[in-house]
Amino acid sequence: MRRWLRWGIGGVLTGVPLLLAVAGPWLVSGPGARSRAFVAGDGHPLGTDFVGRDVWQQVLLGGRTVLLVAMLATVLAYLVAVPWGIAAAVSRHRWVDELLMRPLDLVLALPSLLLLVLLATIAPSGSPTLVAIVALLNLPGITRIVRAAALEVGSRPAVEALRLQGEGWWRITVGYVARSIVRTLAADLGTRFTGALYLVASASFLGVGVPPDASDWAVMVDRNRPGLFVQPWAVLAPALLIVALSVGVNLLFDRALATRSGPGPRPGARPGARSGARTETGSGNRPGPRPEPQGAAP
Amino acid sequence: MSLGHYALRRLLVGVLQVLVVACAVFLLTEALPGDAAVALAGDNPDPARIEQIRRVMRLDLPLAERFWDWLAGLFRMDLGVSLVSQRPVAAFLADGLAPTLVLATLTLLVLVPLAVLLGVVAAVREGGPLDRAVTTVSVALHAIPEFAMAIVLVAVFGVRLRWLPPTAVGVGGDLLRHPAVLVLPLVVLLARPICSISRLVRAGMIEALDSDYVRHARRLGLSTGRVRLRHALPNAVAAAVPQLAHTTDWLLGGVIVVEAVFVIPGLGTALVDAVAARDLPVVQGLAVFFAVTTVLVNLVADVVGFRLSPRTEVVR
Amino acid sequence: MTEPVVRVDDLVTEVGGRRLVDGLSLELRAGQVLALVGASGSGKTTTGLAVLGEAPAGATVSGRVVVDGVEVAPGRPPRPGAVAYVPQHPAAVLNPVRRVGGVLREVAERHLPGPSRSRRIRRTTVSALVTDAVRRARLPTGPELPRRYPHQLSGGQQQRVVLAQALVANPVVLVADEPTTGQDAVTRAEVVDELRALAAEGIAVLLLSHDLDVVRALAHHVIVLRAGRPVESGVAARVLSRPAHEYTRALVAAQPHVATVITDRAADTGASVGAESDDGAGNAERLRVDSLVAHHGSGRRRSAVLHEVDLTAAAGECVAIVGRSGSGKTTLARCVTGLHAATSGTVTVDGAVLAPSLRRRSRDDLAAVQYVFQDARGSFDHHRRVLDQISRTAVRLHGASPEEAADAAMATLRRVGLDEEHARRVPHGLSGGELQRAALARALLARPRVLLCDEITSGLDTLTQHGILDLLAALRAESAGTLVLISHDMGVVARLADHVVVLDAGRVVERGPAARVLAEPAHPVTRALLGVPEREPDELIAR
Repeated sequence: MRRWLRWGIGGVLTGVPLLLAVAGPWLVSGPGARSRAFVAGDGHPLGTDFVGRDVWQQVLLGGRTVLLVAMLATVLAYLVAVPWGIAAAVSRHRWVDELLMRPLDLVLALPSLLLLVLLATIAPSGSPTLVAIVALLNLPGITRIVRAAALEVGSRPAVEALRLQGEGWWRITVGYVARSIVRTLAADLGTRFTGALYLVASASFLGVGVPPDASDWAVMVDRNRPGLFVQPWAVLAPALLIVALSVGVNLLFDRALATRSGPGPRPGARPGARSGARTETGSGNRPGPRPEPQGAAP
Repeated sequence: MSLGHYALRRLLVGVLQVLVVACAVFLLTEALPGDAAVALAGDNPDPARIEQIRRVMRLDLPLAERFWDWLAGLFRMDLGVSLVSQRPVAAFLADGLAPTLVLATLTLLVLVPLAVLLGVVAAVREGGPLDRAVTTVSVALHAIPEFAMAIVLVAVFGVRLRWLPPTAVGVGGDLLRHPAVLVLPLVVLLARPICSISRLVRAGMIEALDSDYVRHARRLGLSTGRVRLRHALPNAVAAAVPQLAHTTDWLLGGVIVVEAVFVIPGLGTALVDAVAARDLPVVQGLAVFFAVTTVLVNLVADVVGFRLSPRTEVVR
Repeated sequence: MTEPVVRVDDLVTEVGGRRLVDGLSLELRAGQVLALVGASGSGKTTTGLAVLGEAPAGATVSGRVVVDGVEVAPGRPPRPGAVAYVPQHPAAVLNPVRRVGGVLREVAERHLPGPSRSRRIRRTTVSALVTDAVRRARLPTGPELPRRYPHQLSGGQQQRVVLAQALVANPVVLVADEPTTGQDAVTRAEVVDELRALAAEGIAVLLLSHDLDVVRALAHHVIVLRAGRPVESGVAARVLSRPAHEYTRALVAAQPHVATVITDRAADTGASVGAESDDGAGNAERLRVDSLVAHHGSGRRRSAVLHEVDLTAAAGECVAIVGRSGSGKTTLARCVTGLHAATSGTVTVDGAVLAPSLRRRSRDDLAAVQYVFQDARGSFDHHRRVLDQISRTAVRLHGASPEEAADAAMATLRRVGLDEEHARRVPHGLSGGELQRAALARALLARPRVLLCDEITSGLDTLTQHGILDLLAALRAESAGTLVLISHDMGVVARLADHVVVLDAGRVVERGPAARVLAEPAHPVTRALLGVPEREPDELIAR
């Protein structure tokens, strides 16, 4: 019962916004008639917004982009970061490693929202740009984790044993190293996705990368703020949906992680000899807890 | 390696980092779309006027020369002059810094003791009701974007209940005179860092309390309080220091959203405005300033971390 | 001094129906050394913890433990400081963020003899207590040590710091858990000295060890444990020289005096050496290493590990490379395999010079030189079945089809004593000893002309070690491959090696036939490794 409750809260909090975001656009029968701005009631269940559109209809339309952009950005970041981090970890020359990792430190040198604002003004506006920028901001964090994990796996005697067996580079790197770090990466996926969600929503709220009258929950929160005193639902409904989605997704991933790494030892988590010097000095990866999402500041 | 040596080395690396970031920022902002002179000339540009602006901004000079002038200016602490208002960039910095510093300092003053306390209490009573509550709430709060939380809080406490002012409009830069204005921004700013830091402290504390060295300290007859305070806590805090640095850095430059919601004229607002107006010298100056604070904060964190956890001889 | 300091009556510790300690009784008097001897998992540490009033999680404990007149049970520890405990891994019990001196003073504060009025007097008393403990633990008393952090100390120093912390509290009993494991012979001799001096001061010492050399040198009484049950006990000299129980006999046989092995071997090696010289192949030079130089690290941190090392081994011969930890013996082996690229010098197998780096070696060259890792578990992929991993050797190095390779791998696995059941499992389903056998099979499948074994018995308990060594001896008898053994354990060397090469700080300091080197070591390092005392003859090992 208690177990069900724990999954349930996360499930409901995620499910409602997810359902609205995915199915919402099909429920809208075309552009509704415009009425006056910030009307409460009057045939509109949630009133009207700053240009007189129906808020409920906008809510139905506005979830898809946030979700899609966050998902695509996460996927894109992993697609780039995994080969990148592995390449840095298995490179035989120290300078290759440095060359691959140092530029990423630059991205980390400024708070991510700040960089997002800067980058978004340079690039052409639009969802693809936002996907690319959010992916770029998530890239250093994921690459570091991939590199650290691959470095640990790569320094195990197993890799040398494979080399002595005459195995080639691909078989060792993809067949052993990449496969062995999947677990570590999966454990990190949740934080990365919520981090991307956070960045996408915050960027849209600041009007970065989206047109000012877009049907987007975060944009709605921003544009309808002047009507907060008259017609609070135009702001509150999308804001609450974003809150529910963030909290729900985080709770679900947390539960999933707790259940999986619960009882019993995890295979592969053995204390092994690490190539200490490189792991520690490499990119300032300190031994310690899992890094928090880089994309989402603190 | 002694602490002094370590700090000196870190400082040199830091100066290098600032230089690299400064170069990157200059090149990036130069790549901003559209000719700044055209943008500034207004809706109906007159070619002569554009030419004039170009000369004033020295846009006719080659990129390398302008970059060199700008870099030389940096060394003289001269960040240049705004294109829009002709005010010195330093004045923009000074204006925005006051509110940002007030918010950052107050947040940190509440954050550190509260987060450490919550983490330690949760760890000592691991599995108890308080621990479960703190853990669940922190997991939930951790991912909420500030603007959404801020709007909900404003709607409830500012609009419906009317307990607190919804924004800082009309207060200007002098936030400390109007403490009521600060309550909601502080709550929003605290929400995420408290979760992440108390979680790290809790995890570090649980690990330390379960460690062989704590068990051994008890065997040697040291009291429970002493073991917790002098043997376990330093290890727990050391685990949270990098995250605290990250938070500080964010508070000094990255709270654009909170400033936007509560209309606080801090550094983040200054940057958003400058980007929107294509005011290149201001954008460049602010970015360099943020790079310096980032490097400084991380330097302090690394030195503190080095002191707390002397094994990490990390040199970046 | 007739009343025992520690008295244990019928101690039973049970976890989930399994008895870790099963009916153990002992008495320990001041100034005496009592050794609990047994393989790993025999209940030694559990007994030691029981004296501290601790038990493994979820354990039920019955029986009576009295320490210094106080009855002790889980949750009811002895008087703080009465029992000094030096665990097997001292690094784990030292707080990484606290300086050595700070913690020593903190413990001393807690154990001040009586309430004192002035702060100044307290401070001088604390300093005196700390200095005294540091001296008794044989640590340097200068101002340097207190300022150090644990990670800045060597393993031996860490152990002594833990001891000093305990001595500040003025203990009556010392529980020393495997104090010599993983240490070279020189450090072992120092530890023996140290513990003997403490016993002479009147501290009762409970020694938990599987190292019979140390037990011989120190203990007055011995209790032999097997799966938690005491199988034999008595005066040390009697139990170890004329063991009554068969298990004790097996233990003693597994770790005999170095001297006895050499004389045993002299009889049967005579025959086999003769047989080898008959067919003439025994004298062919198989492996040759010429003026090998190797470095670790790069740039400013680059340091030389090997200086102009030469080595030769004939076909069918077993050469042992011995040395203290850090002497460069593993690097030498890795240079031969090509895992570590030598800076200069050559490695020649059967007259053909091998490329320094494994990357540039042909498949035949790879098959010619194989290496078995110290960390068997780490040398396997956790996700794939053992058989699949091992058969890849035949696929890659001999171009066999997967089916042929699997058959060949299975045959080799049987030869090292594993069956289909083992082969089907992933590495997690195998014990450390079984995995080491599997690793051997993986190397043997390549039909190597030179097989290097790097400390392959060091992580295993005595009896498992014994089994692996038997296997190596059998393999050596049935193939003409050259075996290179890297070890710091002279007992292992004495059993298997024809030739011994002694490395120290990257240089060969002594070499020669095993019988000669072991019987008449010429270099101080060799003597130290053998545990031959430099100053006090007949004192350290033989007592």
